[in-house]
Amino acid sequence: MNTTVVKELNLEGNESNVDFHIDDLVNAASKVIVPLGPITSFAARNPWAGLEEQSFEQVARRLKETNGVEIYPSDEVLKSAWKQGEIKQEFVEMKLHQWLDLQTIDLPHDEAFQFCQAALLQNKTSFNSPSKTDLESVMKEILQYNFNIPQNHYVQTYSERLGKMDGNKVNQVVNGQMIKWCKLYLDESQAVWSMPNREKGFYAAWKKLVPNDPSINRTIRKELKELPMEADQALMAALLGLQIPYTEIQQYLEAHLLALPGWAGMMLWRSQQSNKEENLLTEFLAVRICMEYAFIKPYLPLPEFQDDGEELLQSLIISWTNWGNMPIDTWLSLSLKEIEARLTLAYRFDQMVRNRILLEAWEQTYEAQLMNIIGASSHRITENLKQPLAQFAFCIDVRSEPFRRKLEEAGPFETFGTAGFFGLPIETCELGQKHSHPSLPILFKPQIKVNECASEQDLKTYQERQQSVNLLNYSFKTLKNSLPSSLLLPEITGPWYSLQTIARSFFPRSTGMISRKLRKNWLRKPSTELTLQQVQTNKTELPIGFSEEEQVLYARQALNMMGLTENFAPLVVICGHGSHSTNNPYASALDCGACGGASSGFNARVLATLCNLPEVRKALNEEGISIPNETVFAAAEHITTTDELQWLYVPHLSEKAQEALDFIGTTLPKVSEQAVAERFVKLPNLKANHKNLNAQAQRLGEDWSEVRPEWGLARNATFIIGNRELTKNRHLDGRAFLHSYDWQKDPNGSILENIIAGPTTVTQWINLQYYASTVAPHYYGSGNKTTQTVTAGIGVMQGNASDLLSGLPWQSVMKSDQELYHEPLRLLVVIEAPTEYVQRLLDRNQSFHQKLKNGWIRLASIDPEGHWESWTV
Amino acid sequence: MFNFLDMSIFPTVFFIVLAISALSSIIFLNPNTPISYIRIHIGFIALPPIVALLALFSNGGRIIMGPFHFDSLSWLLAFFVLTISLIVQRYCIQYLHGDKAYRKYFTLLTLTTIVDSVAWFSNDLRLLLFCWGATLLGLTLLISLKREWQVARNAAKTCSRLFTLSWGLLTLAIVWLAEVTNHWQLTDVLTTSSLAQLESWEQTGITLLFVVAVVIPAAQWPFQRWLLDSVVAPTPISAVMHAGIVNAGGIILTLFAPLFVGSPVQILLFIFSSISVLIGTGIMLVQVDYKRQLVGSTIAQMGFMLIQCALGAYLAAIIHAVLHGLFKSTLFLQAGSVLDHHQSKVYTKKPLPFVWIFTGSVLALLVGIGFWLTSPEEGYQLVSAFMLGWSVFLAWIQLVAFGLGKIGRIFGLLVFVGGGIIYLYIHQLLHHALKDMIPKIQSPSIGAILIIFILLLASVIGIWLVRNRLSNLYTVIYLWLVRFGEPHEDGIESHPSYLKQLISQGGK
Repeated sequence: MNTTVVKELNLEGNESNVDFHIDDLVNAASKVIVPLGPITSFAARNPWAGLEEQSFEQVARRLKETNGVEIYPSDEVLKSAWKQGEIKQEFVEMKLHQWLDLQTIDLPHDEAFQFCQAALLQNKTSFNSPSKTDLESVMKEILQYNFNIPQNHYVQTYSERLGKMDGNKVNQVVNGQMIKWCKLYLDESQAVWSMPNREKGFYAAWKKLVPNDPSINRTIRKELKELPMEADQALMAALLGLQIPYTEIQQYLEAHLLALPGWAGMMLWRSQQSNKEENLLTEFLAVRICMEYAFIKPYLPLPEFQDDGEELLQSLIISWTNWGNMPIDTWLSLSLKEIEARLTLAYRFDQMVRNRILLEAWEQTYEAQLMNIIGASSHRITENLKQPLAQFAFCIDVRSEPFRRKLEEAGPFETFGTAGFFGLPIETCELGQKHSHPSLPILFKPQIKVNECASEQDLKTYQERQQSVNLLNYSFKTLKNSLPSSLLLPEITGPWYSLQTIARSFFPRSTGMISRKLRKNWLRKPSTELTLQQVQTNKTELPIGFSEEEQVLYARQALNMMGLTENFAPLVVICGHGSHSTNNPYASALDCGACGGASSGFNARVLATLCNLPEVRKALNEEGISIPNETVFAAAEHITTTDELQWLYVPHLSEKAQEALDFIGTTLPKVSEQAVAERFVKLPNLKANHKNLNAQAQRLGEDWSEVRPEWGLARNATFIIGNRELTKNRHLDGRAFLHSYDWQKDPNGSILENIIAGPTTVTQWINLQYYASTVAPHYYGSGNKTTQTVTAGIGVMQGNASDLLSGLPWQSVMKSDQELYHEPLRLLVVIEAPTEYVQRLLDRNQSFHQKLKNGWIRLASIDPEGHWESWTV
Repeated sequence: MFNFLDMSIFPTVFFIVLAISALSSIIFLNPNTPISYIRIHIGFIALPPIVALLALFSNGGRIIMGPFHFDSLSWLLAFFVLTISLIVQRYCIQYLHGDKAYRKYFTLLTLTTIVDSVAWFSNDLRLLLFCWGATLLGLTLLISLKREWQVARNAAKTCSRLFTLSWGLLTLAIVWLAEVTNHWQLTDVLTTSSLAQLESWEQTGITLLFVVAVVIPAAQWPFQRWLLDSVVAPTPISAVMHAGIVNAGGIILTLFAPLFVGSPVQILLFIFSSISVLIGTGIMLVQVDYKRQLVGSTIAQMGFMLIQCALGAYLAAIIHAVLHGLFKSTLFLQAGSVLDHHQSKVYTKKPLPFVWIFTGSVLALLVGIGFWLTSPEEGYQLVSAFMLGWSVFLAWIQLVAFGLGKIGRIFGLLVFVGGGIIYLYIHQLLHHALKDMIPKIQSPSIGAILIIFILLLASVIGIWLVRNRLSNLYTVIYLWLVRFGEPHEDGIESHPSYLKQLISQGGK
């Protein structure tokens, strides 16, 4: 497939031979989308991860032009934030001054400022819109001057252009066809009758089928029958047929990828999974553009899009009437230069810039608020707990923050924050499972596999019990798939289903809990061990277990990262987190983002077990981390739906550790209750009573009709990297990711670098995914949960059929159809360290610097004296 | 237990609680009513199904009051429809929370299901027509409640076109029937003397109108479009649609059963329904969207229900309609669970010794023959026996033979036996409750044998096709089935852009 294609291309009118790889172009074009994995391991992705070389505004302009997608918050969202005082006027003015200073426009600063300010705040200076005749005469006058307004030209797909010109439906038809072929090809739900020839690849299978597809008309089918055998050749031929100039090919491919970014993203993801499908994205584009070519052929060549800019000019003039307090006839008395200056200002200060300034002011306002909250602790409480009874390490997740706060209030406990995979690059495999899960941030690759195992006898019994439960599902499927029994199936299973439906409808909490319990009691999962010692495996597979050096390495690294290297309490609890929800295709979106969309309990257990190994402790001791003998590591799971802490691993305890455990046992219920109480009021709920909140929280996790079992990471806004003393007793409202960091223990800055490379990227991706799902819910979000359908066992679509949806559903960012819950703010990273540290970091980490410079993240630092410095440009 | 006087109380009480439910749903529509009132509303709408259930159990025979008739069939249908309504509305409390049209959903669901249940109490055919028309209208309105969304509007348009056609044909049929027999009361129309007034061509014409009118709401080929496109509706609305509306055809045919005796239209119904069973099953097998698979399954199941009607097995058709409704509504409501990532998918397949296949076959044969012998005089019983035997064989292999170890087999056996007992018990119960109310019409066994033949042939072809996935025939059939199951292109929008508009309108 990977052949060089030499074709005659129409290069701006000149016939010339160009030698290039189409695969390279596809590869370059694929930066506009991101890989999209199956929804069962929902991992947050920044939809613009490949575009960070450009500034946020550039990307925004491009997406708006090509796809009509706006990625700045809309006017209405900003207006409501303004009304609620979340955008301070002083910051708006500050940002506006900054913007104006960068413009070279021959206009008095004050006049320009007043115009812009009025436009920003939508304060109309005049309510009389100019009469049509006045406008026309002014237009006529100005048009004489032939102003050249520079307009960017973005490449659009031909089908899109055709649709815009005369409402032709080719675009819709091509999209519909692509959705159909993609879902049939990508199906993992094992449709009984699967797409023939799937094994041969997408293009080959499609090419074989499409000549027989009754949904396409005969002449087009005939055309498609004649396509080349190889995808890249077909793609080239189609591009040639459409006469796309060479210089625009990449952009043309990009436009096609952006038409259905979800399906294209899934193809991209699959192409990264195995060598067999490595050209899948090229095949996707080949199918798509061949189809477009076949459908659009009768309409070729398309007329060039003509825009004389008259409409734009008119809107600019009106905007001066509206915001500039400038009556229409004033234009006639202005000099050419004055006219030009005014038009340029109005042109540049378009909606995009206005929204950008308001968003930045909103972000600035949040930063000021945060500074106030944290800054109030200028006389920082350094009454460091001399002897904490227990120490807890939590994930950086924003949901840990309220829980940690309540926990610390409840007793002599110390808490730490670190990424929930605890630095372990592992793939996990639970007992009796065949499937293993890469339990680490998706930007890393697993290096070690850890299995959960049990004695042979135990495993056998467990598998027998598991099989018996699974057979229920398989019997249902078998009966369903055989025609004579499928017709009887409703009569056999109807009574059982009715029982279940009635129970789930009227006793959601107890039904859910009882069925979970029954299942658990029946399965009787035996007590298990983890394969931590390295087992010899063949070279091609991941090694199972850690070598001795690795055990020490990862234990030390994890303790260093969380800043727990001295002053150990008798009991150290490593806490992973997971969520419980029912009937929710997005369940894994509520799990740990640093573990690739699964509970981080497994990783917690691995780390705690590692830290209890005598050899590891001995080696750590030699490296200066001395863990007292009486200190014991345990693992637990923070259930974020109910704010409970469930023990996963409690080894034999020392006397003091046992005391600590007992004390924790008595305080936990109160902690849970308080944490739930703080969260519960934020959920839209009918029952406003605050009795028995724990039971109500359990109901959220068990109710099959619940679309908001919890808020997940909504409203996340900041990532604070620093000592806990900085944020202790500060009410951060569950909006902050918290990572423990002590710059004094990090002289060469390597720990900070690690935090920026791993956890910060994870949090930035989560943040931008929430951001994108809020500002463009239809394009980057997953749409309304109530009208979704699961497709191909890999994801969801809206309604009858749509793009494969990638982000968070509507209900996860919205309180109601009209009210936002998540505030679309870009992540503010706050580092507690001296200025040199931050400067050094920016010098060393170019990609982070780029994110900051181009507006994909924001940065502030707090130096040892408590001075707040904003690094955002 | 109850004397006659008690019996006539049920209708009165029933209509009172229905009126309260309807009123309550209208009260909720008022924006000043607090949202938490919805819990009280659920309390009110729980009353009608309870009354219907009590009336069903007291089994007081047929009562005729004014334009209404009350018998165990109508009580059962009312109980069924209103229970589905109750469950779905309970589900909507949380599920639709925050929806712009939140209140309207409850009002429309309540009113639609109320008129639907009253339709089956109507003895006066004009009332029946009115109620059934109102039900279809209500359903269309429910689909179009997301009116900001272009595709939802298109789907509602498709539905309204087909529903209008269906209702129009039904009206025509009923008016014609009333003209000829000079009666508007169902009980008067269906007397032997009234029916005797019908000329043979009149009977054919009227029954033909009836059949076309009922296959449309049952989404039978070639009228399946509306059900395929209405996947856009929110999940609970689909649940109501697939449980309570699509099976109306079976009910209407049952109510007018005597009219169909000896009508050649039965054969037509049989043919079209058989095609629908095959197409529906095919859609289910090739589709990869979960809700679309369910749609395919509904088309097939409704086809089967109509085949039962064509064979004169009205009792079986009603039982099938009711149990299918409960089954399908549950599957819709839990459609979010298909990808349960906490459930293990481990499944050890092992070679199957012949002895298990043998015991399975013997068992299947015994159960089939045993079931047939309980009433061999009914032609349809043969079909039931055949399908039961077939299911017994598959369930035996899956549940018992594939079980691992002793524990697995015992568990499988318990489920197998338990499932069987419940199946027989529920059938017995429904049979007993309905047997007097539903006309028994002897049908020739030829139809039963034909349908068994079709099922067997289709299964064999299906198995052959799966084994020859690369054959041309497979390709052609596969693509046709995909095409049958796909939505119309007007029903597709690559991104639901109406959400963007919602944010722009709101933003409080």
